[in-house]
Amino acid sequence: MADEKKLSRNETIKEESRFLRGSIAEGLHRAETGALSEDDTQLTKFHGIYQQDDRDLRAERGRKKMEKAFSFMARLRIPGGTLTPAQWLALDDIAQERANGTIRLTTRQTVQFHGIIKTNLRPAIAAINRAMLDTVAACGDVNRNVIATSNPYERATHGAVVALARAVSLALLPKSRAYHEIWIGDELVAGGEEEDEPIYGRTYLPRKFKIAITVPPHNDVDVFAHDLGFIAIVEDGRIAGYNVTAGGGMGMTHGEPDTFPRTGDVLGFCAPDQVIAVAEQVVTTQRDFGDRADRKHARLKYTIERMGVDGFRAELERRLGFALAPARPFHLEGNGDRYGWREGDDGLAHYTLFVENGRIADTGTRRLLSGLRAIAGVHAGTFVLTCNQNLTIAQVAPDRRPAIDALLAEYGLDGDVTALRRHAMACVALPTCGLALAESERYLPSLVTELDAVMARLGLAEDAITLRMTGCPNGCARPYLAEIGLVGRGPGTYNLYLGAAFDGSRLNKLYMKDVSDAAIVAALTPLLEEYARDRESGERFGDFVIRRGHVQATVGGNRFHADLAPGLAA
Amino acid sequence: MASLPMLPDTAPFAAEQIAVLNKVMVATTPEQRSWLSGFLAGYQAATAAPQASPAAPPATRQPLSILFATESGNSEALAAKARLVATRLGFAARAIDMADATPEVMAKASNLLVIASTWGEGDPPQRAIDFYTGLMADAAPRFDGVRYAVLALGDRAYANFCETGRRFDERLAALGGARIADRIECDVDYETRAKAWIDGTLGTLQALLAEAADADPAEPGADVIHVDFARGPAEQAWTRSRPFEAEITERINLNSSRSTAETWHVELSLAGSGITYEPGDALGFVPTNDPALVDEVLTAAGLAGDATLHAALADRFDVTTLTRLQIAEFGRMTGDAALIELGADAARAAAFIEGRQVIDLLAAAPHRLTPEQLTGLLRPLPPRLYSIASSLRAVPEEAHLLIGAVRFETHGRARKGVASADVAERRRVGETMKVYLKPNSHFRLPADPATPIVMIGPGTGIAPFRAFVQDRDATGAAGRSWLFFGNRQYTHDFLYQLEWQDFLARGALSRLDVAFSRDQREKVYVQHRLWEQRRDLYAWMEDGAVVYVCGDANAMAKDVHATLARVIADQASVDAEAAQAYLDRMRRAGRYLRDVY
Ligand code: SRM
Ligand SMILES: Cc1cc2nc3c(=O)[nH]c(=O)nc-3n(C[C@H](O)[C@H](O)[C@H](O)COP(=O)(O)OP(=O)(O)OC[C@H]3O[C@@H](n4cnc5c(N)ncnc54)[C@H](O)[C@@H]3O)c2cc1C
Ligand SMILES: Cc1cc2nc3c(=O)[nH]c(=O)nc-3n(C[C@H](O)[C@H](O)[C@H](O)COP(=O)(O)O)c2cc1C
Ligand code: SF4
Repeated sequence: MADEKKLSRNETIKEESRFLRGSIAEGLHRAETGALSEDDTQLTKFHGIYQQDDRDLRAERGRKKMEKAFSFMARLRIPGGTLTPAQWLALDDIAQERANGTIRLTTRQTVQFHGIIKTNLRPAIAAINRAMLDTVAACGDVNRNVIATSNPYERATHGAVVALARAVSLALLPKSRAYHEIWIGDELVAGGEEEDEPIYGRTYLPRKFKIAITVPPHNDVDVFAHDLGFIAIVEDGRIAGYNVTAGGGMGMTHGEPDTFPRTGDVLGFCAPDQVIAVAEQVVTTQRDFGDRADRKHARLKYTIERMGVDGFRAELERRLGFALAPARPFHLEGNGDRYGWREGDDGLAHYTLFVENGRIADTGTRRLLSGLRAIAGVHAGTFVLTCNQNLTIAQVAPDRRPAIDALLAEYGLDGDVTALRRHAMACVALPTCGLALAESERYLPSLVTELDAVMARLGLAEDAITLRMTGCPNGCARPYLAEIGLVGRGPGTYNLYLGAAFDGSRLNKLYMKDVSDAAIVAALTPLLEEYARDRESGERFGDFVIRRGHVQATVGGNRFHADLAPGLAA
Repeated sequence: MASLPMLPDTAPFAAEQIAVLNKVMVATTPEQRSWLSGFLAGYQAATAAPQASPAAPPATRQPLSILFATESGNSEALAAKARLVATRLGFAARAIDMADATPEVMAKASNLLVIASTWGEGDPPQRAIDFYTGLMADAAPRFDGVRYAVLALGDRAYANFCETGRRFDERLAALGGARIADRIECDVDYETRAKAWIDGTLGTLQALLAEAADADPAEPGADVIHVDFARGPAEQAWTRSRPFEAEITERINLNSSRSTAETWHVELSLAGSGITYEPGDALGFVPTNDPALVDEVLTAAGLAGDATLHAALADRFDVTTLTRLQIAEFGRMTGDAALIELGADAARAAAFIEGRQVIDLLAAAPHRLTPEQLTGLLRPLPPRLYSIASSLRAVPEEAHLLIGAVRFETHGRARKGVASADVAERRRVGETMKVYLKPNSHFRLPADPATPIVMIGPGTGIAPFRAFVQDRDATGAAGRSWLFFGNRQYTHDFLYQLEWQDFLARGALSRLDVAFSRDQREKVYVQHRLWEQRRDLYAWMEDGAVVYVCGDANAMAKDVHATLARVIADQASVDAEAAQAYLDRMRRAGRYLRDVY
């Protein structure tokens, strides 16, 4: 542990924040700036709010005698990712009135608004609250949105995992009243002296914490990418319990090999009614053992590397007061979504709509925003968000299908999308993300178009290959679990990673460093040609490149930077 | 004896003469010295060459009151000129701001010259409202026997041309005044005509008075003439007809590239001009027309390709503003019956003029004109005024302007403001702008640096307040200051944001409230912020704060005025009338000042 090392700055900010209040409320009233104080911007994260600035405008601002073009991103907490049509309409309104007019579906099954200026922040959060939603703990050093497989067509298990996601989220929610005081209530509740955070304590966790629940054979949540995972073991049509995984995470830093993405380890099996206790005790273990000095090593994955999987399991079981049962066998097939109409086991139909990079906006003939608004106006079921930034129009009665189909056609949402595009994902990056080193969301679509031409020429048009891009190594689109991963290094340059497993169980490996955007297609074309020519039946691209020796298989996070081709260094 | 008066070595005598004189001086008594000085004076007077005597030698000095109503200072400057002429003619002339006058006092004047401009939609200048209202009231005093004449300033581009001057003229006649000259109504190019009228009218008055004096010599109380060699108010070296070419040293559009607006911050070097200004003053800018529009006008008049004419139109003629007179004149020139008819019908002409310009007239009825006909049709190009946005105490030898680009579309034609588009589109750093100083002595920081100030300036109305705050910062003034600013979008239109942040941090600005109208569905304007802050705002007013308003005259100034009245009514728990009276008292005390356009 980190007793002797100096605590990171964030620890002091949390400690002195009076349970996440800081001076946010005062800062909201300062007219001369669209920003909050630097310390307060760390605290707003716990309320699901990030201060950002429009990076496209940075160059001109100083000369025009204006501060950076500040605005805020607000991320919702929607455990399990289900929304009612009324909620969707409310979100659409908020996007138009208070944000930048778009809705962004995220890789963790929720919704983000971008471009909310400071004066619109309270009204936006209040409106979210009126829609029976919130942004509590959507970011910050706490447990974040709890995600669960989007499989509404298996009604019972889906219902069960969504309910579980909500219960876990609730159990791990910060108890501080700060959120309501600052964003919703009109008058201040007492200064927080009486408050306590029984699970977190005054300084919360050393770092963010993420929980995912998956129902095999689906792995749309990428269960191994999260701090804590639950893999549902379905026996005789009901959930017998869950295999527990721990220590997953994506983020790393370029040039710092002691930071790395890591797939979680399967620790054992627990019963459904033990899940919350397991979640709570994994959290408290991380609370007590996590590194509070160096935020780059503060995630649970490094805690587990330090303690060892067995040491960690022992500590957890000591806290639980019971031992985990041996893990049960499971089988995963892929980490993508299934598109179009699917019949559910309850006779209802579900339509999964492809949303490129999660951005809901009207672009050209594809009028996603207006279309979903129209659909929400007639839809009687629910909307289910997916962890691949897509959306399922769920629980459509058979007689309602034609109406939905008509609207999909009317708004240009029914067109064919290639297999590669359907399995591609990009993080937000520029212009809002302050950490982006390169373009991502704004660039991937055109790259896919170029690659599609190659795929079509090679007869691979129907073949799914996972392709994920991020603007920096933090890994928000989980690029290290993609068969082709592109991670931003600088403007127009990316590192190219290959060889992850299609089902999300194996990390990829660095194949080429500092590839300029113009050179990406050329770098991949020979590999795709070879794949088209030499693959074995049913062989996935990620497995193929390993078999052919283009990269070595990554067996665990701590080997991610190892076994590179000669001349390559992380 | 060393303390006795001695001629210095520098005295205009030879060294031996100085020695001799000093020898004598040393021995004199005070009485002797006093006698000597008187003697020398008399000697001087008796032997001097005869001096030029004043042009007219009336035996008495006749009083003349020159009453002016001004908003942007034109009338005031003319009044000062008239006073100079009158003084030379031997009048005991006074220039009086209508803001400081009452009809009761003026009714006692014997000779009265009124110089008044028209504002808003035919309204008197703001500071003249009390006088105007009093004069128009049923209870107004009689002006029997008062000799008067009216000079009206205005702009033919407005429907109610010279309305205020006309009303003064008619009212003074109705109250028994004796009109000694026909009223003159001056357009924006008033200088030459106004001067001729002043000379003529004062000449007429002088003749009238001389006749009266012959009939009834030596008015009692008139004293012996003293030639008044005192100069009139110092005249500005640079004028609209002789502007200073100020170099542009900086030119930035302050709005973000995402903004729907364009507001140019322009820094001018005044080096070598000798221009000194105070915060609150404006610069007049003599613009150049858009060459493309000049081309269009020339083409429409069948004169395309005439380079000399192009240059003249670009620099000297108003090729945009359309007036009824021009319609009629164009009709006459071309014999176009439809135009003659249109020009004769005030209502129809007004409807036609709405949103139209000279080019529309020429295009509506294409006729070939001679260059003389065309220039005869056009008015001279009037300069535009811009509040100075800087203080010499912060930026010596510089003047900063803040110029909002005017662009709009009417009748299917894209239009641009003459001066603002000139700056926005054609001027570059290193080039010059023709400017002259337009002082505004009525919009000044309080004399006492400790007096609190409230500045309400949305849009380009913020310009003079940057000058105010810069000045107070430079002088370390102790008074509190509160700025209300508004615009369209916080992120894209927050003019001088970083500077306000800095002034707040330094304490030069105490408080800032902003209103951005397009950031949310509900429109929010400065008046909403005034209302929200009414408790503190009223407390500041009660503490003696001076309240300044600058910017849009049409909507903003009216709404702000109404809101200030509401704030007072609410906080002082008084009715609307009493609140209005409170504001009137503030205005009279110079504590509610507006510079709106
Ligand atoms: C929106 C989203 C990407 C997307 O395209 O959908 C996203 C966007 C951002 N992430 Fe992320 N992350 C998103 C999923 C992820 C994932 C994927 C996942 O969890 O399945 C990861 C990798 C898993 C992990 O946590 O390791 C991820 C790892 C990071 C990291 C690196 C964390 C680390 O410990 O290494 C950061 C930076 C940090 O925390 O310091 C980060 C930080 C950010 C921030 C907030 C940038 C910042 O801190 O200033 C990005 C906001 C950009 C913007 O303008 O919206 N984001 N981020 C995803 C929102 C998920 C959600 O709804 O909660
Ligand atoms: C004392 C004083 C101080 C001033 N200070 C400033 C200052 O600091 N900053 C500043 O920017 N301006 C200031 N002004 C205004 C400035 O003088 C000019 O009037 C302004 O810049 C427009 O001039 P222009 O030549 O660009 O436009 P012009 O060619 O004069 O055109 C303006 C005319 O176009 C018409 N018009 C404009 N918009 C529309 C529309 N949307 N639809 C239809 N018709 C329209 C109107 O008839 C308007 O009068 C001030 C004015 C005064 C009197
Ligand atoms: C906002 C504004 C409104 C005006 N309204 C009128 C008007 O209605 N009628 C008119 O004849 N002149 C109008 N004018 C022109 C002025 O009367 C003219 O510029 C005059 O020379 C100003 O004189 P002053 O500086 O003494 O106030 C207006 C000018 C401005 C800037
Ligand atoms: S991966 Fe990097 S660039 Fe992309 S959203 Fe996350 S933090 Fe930003």
